[in-house]
Formats: sequence, C-alpha cells, structure tokens
Amino acid sequence: MGGLVLLSFVLITVSFRSSALDGVQGTAAGILRPFEVGADRVARPFRDAFGWSKGLVDAKSENAKLKAQNRLLLQQLVKTQSAVAENAYLKRQLDYKAAPSEADFTRVNTEVLTNPQSDLDESITIAAGSSDGVGVGDVVRTPSGLVGVVDRVSKSVSRVTLLTDSTSNVNAADVAHPTSVGIVRRGSGSGTLILDHVQKQNFVGVGDMVITAGSLGAGALPSMFPRGIPIGTVMNESDNDINPFHSIQLQPFVDFSSIQSVTVLVPKR
Amino acid sequence: MDGAKIALVLFVSAILQVAVLTEYRAFRSASLVLVVLLCVALLRGSIVGAIAGFGTGLLLDTATLGTLGVTSLLLTVAGFWIGRYGETTARDRLHAPFLSVAVVTVLYAFGQLVLQFMLGEPAPAALVIDGLPLALLVNLLMTVPVYALTRRLFPPRQRADRIGEVQLLG
Repeated sequence: MGGLVLLSFVLITVSFRSSALDGVQGTAAGILRPFEVGADRVARPFRDAFGWSKGLVDAKSENAKLKAQNRLLLQQLVKTQSAVAENAYLKRQLDYKAAPSEADFTRVNTEVLTNPQSDLDESITIAAGSSDGVGVGDVVRTPSGLVGVVDRVSKSVSRVTLLTDSTSNVNAADVAHPTSVGIVRRGSGSGTLILDHVQKQNFVGVGDMVITAGSLGAGALPSMFPRGIPIGTVMNESDNDINPFHSIQLQPFVDFSSIQSVTVLVPKR
Repeated sequence: MDGAKIALVLFVSAILQVAVLTEYRAFRSASLVLVVLLCVALLRGSIVGAIAGFGTGLLLDTATLGTLGVTSLLLTVAGFWIGRYGETTARDRLHAPFLSVAVVTVLYAFGQLVLQFMLGEPAPAALVIDGLPLALLVNLLMTVPVYALTRRLFPPRQRADRIGEVQLLG
C-alpha cells in the first residue's frame, strides 16, 4: 500500500510538473478510445428510447409553442437575409478588413468520448487529436454554441476545457447592442455563466443573445475566438452602487453536462 | 483467475463510468467505479483493494487525460482501508457495504477537493457539498445490485482458505 501511494505521488509530480508522461498517456488514451466508443454505441439505443419517451410527455404543448416561434423566426429571417446581403455589399464597396470569422477556420467534427467526470471537473475528451490537425488553443463549438478550448492534445484524443471552467474567459458582445462588450466567465452556480466588465453606460437587455466578440481591431494579441459564435442569452441583469459594471447572468445555449459531438475550429496554418 | 476477473469487472465499470454514465448529472457526483471497487475490496481484502484501486485510478486518469496519479492515490487509499475493514470487523455484517460506501463517498469527495486545492486548481467546496446528498443516495442505491453481483462473482473465502498455515511459537 505504501509503495502504491508513493508511486501515485511520483506520478502526480511528474504528470503535473512536466510533459514526460504525456506521450505514454496519449497512447494509452488512444488504446482506450475504441472501448469508449463501443460502450457509447451500446448505450445509445437505451439513451434514445429514454429521450423519446421523455419527449412524449410535453410534446403537445411544445409543438404549439414552437409553431408560434417558427412564425416569428420566419419574419426575422427575411429581415436578416436582407441585412446580410446589404452588409456584404457595403463591405465590398468599402474594402472593409473584418475580424476573423469562422470561414477562416477548418472544421474538424468529432465525437465526445468522455463528459465531465465529477462536480469539480469541467473538461471533456474528444476523439480527435494532433493527427487530425487539432492543436492546443483551438476553439470548440456545437451547432448550439461555444463549448470551450482545447487544452491538451495527444495523437488521437484531446481534452477540452469547458466554458464553465473557472479558468475560461471569453471576450463577448451583446448582439442587439454591439458596443456592450464584456468577458464571459463561470458563474457562481454549476453550469451558469456571467457576462462581466460591461460598463454601466452600455445597455444590455434581458433576452438578448450574447456572442463571441472576436478581435476588436488589429492588435498584437488577437482573440483566439472568431466573432459570432453564440454563447447564451441574458437571463438576468441588475446593477448596484458598489459594482462599477452590470451584473449579468447568462443562460448558455450548450448543455455542458451532456455533449455528444463537437466541431473543432482549426486555424488555417 | 480471481485477479483477471477483478481486472475485467473494474475495467468494464470504468469504461461505463467515463463513456456512458457521466452524461447524466447524477453520475458526476456519484461513481459506479468507486462502489464496485469498495465491494471488491470488502470481499477480497486490503492488498487486492489497494492494487485494484491504483490500477482503476490510473485507467480513469488516462481515459480523461487528467493529471496521472490523482485518482490512483484516492482509490488506493479507499481500496486498502475498506479492504482492511472487510478483513477485520466487517466480515458477514449486513451493513458493511452500505457503511463503507457512505463513508468513502464523503471522504472521496473531500479528498478530491483537497488534492485539487493542493495542485493549485480551482476547488469550489460549495459544489462538492451541494452534490454530496445526491452522490450518497445514488451510490447507496447502486450498492445493492453491485454488492450482490460482486458477491456472486467473488464469493467470500472460507476460513480454511484464508489460513494456510499456523505456526506456534514458544
């Protein structure tokens, strides 16, 4: 027992302080990958059946709600398409140099191998690694919105630090009020986010959509996040005399506890 | 033979835990692997418990690309301690697996928190404390089928099997 405890301490020290074991760990993680994928495939029919039966309960009320929402979105779509066309035309006329967008990245679509393992863990592992072009710092998203950033890469597996991790900070803006820019970081509760450092003179409305702001102008350290990835909607906004900024709580678009697949945005190197 | 069976059972439970169960919120607090390990340790003793804990921890840290050794350390201590409890006072007591799982669930959660803090990573105690009641409930519920299954796979050794030879001194 003493030997094993000592060995654990040695492993912690080496693994934490150096990258000497990264190769071995990456190879071992690659070996485990087929087992994890296999287990996921076996569990999928049961998960789908559970989701299907759960969905039946509130399908009728949800259907009516979605129909009303669909009508509203169709009207908005027409307006948006017209604005997008006008925007593209004006940019061409002005020869406008914009911040990097998602079009400047190569997309690597991949499966999620493991979800967060404990209440303290805010990371997932994905089935793509350096052999697919993925590197440390690459941005990860789902169709719903921003997930996080790749923080560790092996040949065939990578680890992604989620947006809900306390070390994550993302430059973000309110879509409805583009001058309201702040930093999205972890909130006090599990799975919640806050939009911090938004000046009080800038307006942020409840229900507004918050997206990645990207780089604001050319600088030596451009943002690693392309502009326009959805993050969440403003759930609550309040002010007090002590805090010089708005207190804004966000409802993230992504359910961080159960992500099935993601897209890694690999910069065109 | 017993060793291979233990390795297989823990491997399957570890893969299930990391790839399937943690998709559900309850299993981010609770842990199937911990329950299986404790049941095996209770039935097979401290040495098996410690070795199985170390191996399982290494497997979990590898699969999640986490810091190697963290989970190994916690599970080695948990496996050894519960194995020792099984070898001494817990033998044939009905409450032993439940008591073991309840106590170790709490200590394991705080152990994770302390290690995380010592490694300089964020360690929000409120999250752990909030998740503890659910973790206790789910782990205790899992103990019933898991202990029944492990007891069937690894039946308690007869007294004659355990004591090979007694040497009288003096």
